[in-house]
Amino acid sequence: MANPSVNRLTPLLLAIAVSVVASARLTHGEESAKKINFVNDIVPILTKSGCNAGVCHAKAGGGQNGFQLSLLGFEPEQDYQTLVSQGRGRRLFPAAPDTSLLLQKASGQVPHGGGIRLPRDSDGYAMLRLWIEQGTPLSNADDPMLTHIEVVPPSSTVAIGSKQPLRSIAHFSDGTTRDVTNLALYESNQDALAEVSEEGVMQVHDIPGKVAVMVRYQGRVTVHNASIPLSEPTTDPLPETGNFIDEWVLANLQSIGMPISDECDDATFLRRVSLDIAGRLPTLAETRQFLSDENPDKRSVAIDRLLQGGDYADYFANKWTALLKNRRDEASDITSNFAFHAWIRDSLLANKPYDQLVRELLAASGTVLGNPPVAWYKRVKEPKQQMEDVAQLFLGVRMQCAQCHHHPFESWSQADYYSLSAFFTQIGRKPTAVRGEDMIFHQRGMAEAKNPITGEVLRPVALGDSVGDIPPDADPRLRLADWMGDPNNPFFAKALVNRYWKHFFSQGLIEPEDDIRETNPPTNPELLRALEDHFRSSGFDLKELVRVITNSRTYQLSPQPNKQNVVDRQNYSRFYPRRLQAEVMLDAIDRVTESQTSFANLPIGTRAIALPDNSYNKASPFLRVFGRPEGLSVCECERVRSASLAQSLHLMNAKDIKAKLSAPNGTANRLAKDSRSIAEKIDELYLLAFSRYPTPKEFQTAQSYLGEPRNSADNKPLSQEAALQENLQDLIWALINTKEFQFNH
Amino acid sequence: MMPRFPALLAFVGLVMVASPVRSQSVCLPAPRLLTTMPMGGQVGSEFEITISGEHLEQPGELRFSDPRITAAVVHDDAGKPSTNRYTVTIAADCPPGLYEASIMTRLGLSAPRIFTVDTMAESAQAKPATSATEATTIAVNSVCNAIAAARGINHHRFDAKQGQRFVIDCAARGIDSKLKPVVILADATGRDLVAERGGGLLDFNVPADGTYLIKVHDLTFQGGPYFFYRLALREIQADSDLPERMASTRAVNAAAWPPHGLPPKSTSQEAEPNDQHHQAQRIELPCDLTGSFAPEADIDRFEFTAKKGDVWWIEVASNRLGRPTDPTLVVQHIEPSEQEEQRSDVLQLTDIPSPVKVSGNNYAYDGPPYNAGSSDILGKLEIQQDGLHRIQLSDAFGGTRNDPRNVYRLVIRKASPDFALVAWAMHMELRNGDRNALSKPITLRGGATMALEVVAIRRDGFTGEIELAMDNLPDGVTATGLRIPAGKSRGIMLISAAEGAPRGVSSATFYGQAEIDGKSVRRPCRLASMAWPVTNHWSEIPSPRLLHEVAVSVSGNELAPITISPREEGILQVTQGQKLTIPLIHMRRSEFSGSTMSVRTMGTGFEQAPKLDIPLGDDTSEVTLDLAALKTPPGQYQIAFYGGAVAKYRANETDKTKDIVDIVVSKPISIEVKPAESP
Repeated sequence: MANPSVNRLTPLLLAIAVSVVASARLTHGEESAKKINFVNDIVPILTKSGCNAGVCHAKAGGGQNGFQLSLLGFEPEQDYQTLVSQGRGRRLFPAAPDTSLLLQKASGQVPHGGGIRLPRDSDGYAMLRLWIEQGTPLSNADDPMLTHIEVVPPSSTVAIGSKQPLRSIAHFSDGTTRDVTNLALYESNQDALAEVSEEGVMQVHDIPGKVAVMVRYQGRVTVHNASIPLSEPTTDPLPETGNFIDEWVLANLQSIGMPISDECDDATFLRRVSLDIAGRLPTLAETRQFLSDENPDKRSVAIDRLLQGGDYADYFANKWTALLKNRRDEASDITSNFAFHAWIRDSLLANKPYDQLVRELLAASGTVLGNPPVAWYKRVKEPKQQMEDVAQLFLGVRMQCAQCHHHPFESWSQADYYSLSAFFTQIGRKPTAVRGEDMIFHQRGMAEAKNPITGEVLRPVALGDSVGDIPPDADPRLRLADWMGDPNNPFFAKALVNRYWKHFFSQGLIEPEDDIRETNPPTNPELLRALEDHFRSSGFDLKELVRVITNSRTYQLSPQPNKQNVVDRQNYSRFYPRRLQAEVMLDAIDRVTESQTSFANLPIGTRAIALPDNSYNKASPFLRVFGRPEGLSVCECERVRSASLAQSLHLMNAKDIKAKLSAPNGTANRLAKDSRSIAEKIDELYLLAFSRYPTPKEFQTAQSYLGEPRNSADNKPLSQEAALQENLQDLIWALINTKEFQFNH
Repeated sequence: MMPRFPALLAFVGLVMVASPVRSQSVCLPAPRLLTTMPMGGQVGSEFEITISGEHLEQPGELRFSDPRITAAVVHDDAGKPSTNRYTVTIAADCPPGLYEASIMTRLGLSAPRIFTVDTMAESAQAKPATSATEATTIAVNSVCNAIAAARGINHHRFDAKQGQRFVIDCAARGIDSKLKPVVILADATGRDLVAERGGGLLDFNVPADGTYLIKVHDLTFQGGPYFFYRLALREIQADSDLPERMASTRAVNAAAWPPHGLPPKSTSQEAEPNDQHHQAQRIELPCDLTGSFAPEADIDRFEFTAKKGDVWWIEVASNRLGRPTDPTLVVQHIEPSEQEEQRSDVLQLTDIPSPVKVSGNNYAYDGPPYNAGSSDILGKLEIQQDGLHRIQLSDAFGGTRNDPRNVYRLVIRKASPDFALVAWAMHMELRNGDRNALSKPITLRGGATMALEVVAIRRDGFTGEIELAMDNLPDGVTATGLRIPAGKSRGIMLISAAEGAPRGVSSATFYGQAEIDGKSVRRPCRLASMAWPVTNHWSEIPSPRLLHEVAVSVSGNELAPITISPREEGILQVTQGQKLTIPLIHMRRSEFSGSTMSVRTMGTGFEQAPKLDIPLGDDTSEVTLDLAALKTPPGQYQIAFYGGAVAKYRANETDKTKDIVDIVVSKPISIEVKPAESP
């Protein structure tokens, strides 16, 4: 999969490429009278003009026509050499600056594939010209260094449809500042809520919520946080809160004046929470009992019951198994895949503390059969890949960019990258009798990794945090696990609670859920912090996290919007419905049709959410069409969540669905032979599919349809039972083709 | 005209060429006892068992590796003997443990199957109960013999009261089963409570009165008769230590443990805390110490004082004790300092490598599919300077594991040169891509010679040559050891049956003899075998193990397809650097595919001889060995020729013949190489 960070960057860079060329506004001192500083004065112009973008002359992107600059100017010294010493002296010509190829190309005086970047009358052109004229100086010893940038204002409350100009101020080591508004780069983390122009003007659209604007200048980043209140804020009093989650959600809603939806009804709740915790529809017995139960705590009781069951372990193991790349590439992988899946499942069933679970995975040693998390090292073989996966999956930090250059959105450098990968450099391997499978162990020695560009040999450092000296005998992975589980770790708990929050609410507090960085702030930072604290103080108790989320009033809101929160996409003022994921939907259809899908090598009755690896996708068009992941990536985005025409057609026409509807021991055939009344049969079908009784109108329609006569293929009237059987199949078909069935709502 | 579809034609051609090869079987039929139900019994009891296996025609005596276990065939009401049912009697004085059962058949004594003797009551489940409602009851403090269902879960049930504590053990791999057991404790509805998938004990404290289920299945849900298990349910006191696991077979590498003369118990014990340098436990050399790799990421440190020039041998056993560990040991010299002590590495020891190259996961064999090496430690420590030395011992697999049962024994001794031996039936590539790993009983056809590879695990610097021998062989059977040369690790044992050797069986004595420090010492050679006949070790991982006895038998009913023997008996004499021509006689009793058999030479001094072709259609042949090229020094030698040939085999006159490729080994040939006369 392509690096999402780069993907996100590309449109921005393209936008730059077609935009009006920026101009440098010189505001500190008599610029023409002093020597120009290449780093402070020239590189920002190249960056703003898009010269060093990935698709243009950035080395990381290949560098068009052999002119290679560092990506976004992160390596100015290298860029200086490129400009001044390479290109056979044609790029810069101090004796006649205007004839310099750099200026002629950038201003379009000679053909340039990237078009006109710096018109001759622009400030940027003037600055570059002056620099060339001055003999292309690099810097003076006493030149100030850029220390940080500031965005003014740092936060704002902006009305829907209005604009908010942002000013970017560069701070230098000599205490001076410089307005770099036109040289800085801007990116909104929610384009649907607000966009920012080249000149730093934020245009707010018509959706209320929180938006962050990342401001970048010369490797420094800062962020502007904007709150967009509803245009007609509610004056209704806030409802009572359930737990701390509700307090923070409501506080946020209050700040933007958005009312919440009503609480969902019992049927909706039971269906929702069963799907979310156990990955299945409630059983008939569970539904009937729950709907008739008058215990005021029955929702909490249901949550606890679901958490105790093996279905919870199956469902969340299914989630983790794909992220941990439990992939069957060879037939002989079956043993390790089953063992690894089972280990995850057992760990969840036993509610192993999350820090312990990660520790056992991270520092796994031995054989797959003796210690199943070793299987992860079968799929992820290289230290750099191991580090990248661990960072993204367990810390929510995407380090990939920093392998080749300074991370464009973050403070992570190549040194950070290789220092983190150093934790994985002492992993020893011994072959086993199973092809492609090694025993894993800590190989005695000093853990270190070499930065291939600088040649620097780096010892393990955890994202800037020292973990102390690691002697040759100690497994550095254990030290990394210690650091992760430390109560002060800023990433570990946050990444998990955000991931789980998204599981239950469709929308992470930070999006994407595994791209946590200063420049991508949460929509509700207080809530995220409170969840982190709760998770840590519970001893990294995963079930407790699920419990506290699902017991919140926020989770139990209706999906029905009111007039004001219909536009809400990130404030949790209502429940956001989502399509059932592939495995859950297949299981739900199996349940409603009472026709169990059979999976190779597994006991009859094994549900799709309990499948140990991706190999079953091959034989199941259903799982493929509905986007069951193949375990190729640590990103949850590999799972297809969107709806598609192919999915609709599959549910309507596919052979496997038709076979299930007409299965000899299926629901339709059973009910057709059942002596109970039609009303009871209709009730049962609605309870099975929707966990609720039919409305009078639905009941009337169903009753009428079930009573219709049918003819056989040769146009002879069918018996009453045969006709009922066909009609029941049609009714079930109709039910599973509703959005109400296909969505968790 | 050129063919339009050369690729297709090439494919057709390939199929046509390949198909005769595909119809070949590998290795002549050998009897193998594969299952007994039940797989064991209680001390002092009598019960009926049912057996199954391969090539068990005309089954006779069911034999056990201990005379205190006996069996008598069951007769039906008409007095007709059963072919697969026996009444087994376990004497009251038979100690609990593992034994082997094997059965005498038309072809000789079968490959053995583990048979367990236990003190607990036994039961046998008639068939797997694949749902909670079908669960069969297992009595507390009993063993249930059962099999796993394919694509199913077997259910056992028991009643328990709150506060009781149970330990559930499932013997499977350790009793020759193919099952990789998963044991799950569930409530009466089948809802999982605790799972044990690593083959360990399941420790269950009963949370509430009720019925509980023990669910058993294979890790990958395979099942059937070969996926058998013995499930033990034991109640123990709440504060008791966990009991020992049920007995288990020993891996091939355990042949080298314990070293000869080592007392059964160590003389000292590891004392925690000893993880940190300043906590190092003081020891005096020599030492014999027991410890445990626990808790998680445990490092045990010991320190001692030694003088420059001292030589010590360090041995650690843990993996060879059956533990899933990988001991790693470092010795450091310690230079005390007021600031911080200075440590310098003197020695690092990790695995004991296999003395011979083990076959990898390649297209075909590139070594034997047996590994006599281990992840344990054996090495020499030479003290470089006087003073304090510190050992740190850890388990490379123990980073996240806390299991005090992962014990080790650390022995540091003055050199005590010695050796241990282990042997197994020779494997070789018999056809293109052959990866069979078969259990091969020493069951001889008349006129056959069977080769065993023998590997020496040398200790404490012993480099002398080792002569190999076998005693107590059945009538008509001879054994010739091709010695393990000085400094080498591999020898061969040839076991030959005369053409007229009578049907018989015996428990042979197999040993190696060497001179160590001027004394003749004799050490037993353990025999190893595959637990199952695995036809492709890519798709099924073979499970080799040590056998309890060296059983040798003669069919008395079948003859070898061919016997190749030297025309002249006695010792062939040749002068160093000359050519030796050996006339051979081929006693053919079968038709063969192909006209020649390509053979190699086994036996020290001659193994580098180039491949030779022996005509399979002729009654005689001559082979010539060039001693100049081989540079064989003067001395006494035993050699044999071996290769693979495809015989047209049929067990009975009325059967169709089958192409079966097997190893053909000549009778041993004795050679004396005389020194060349000085010019």
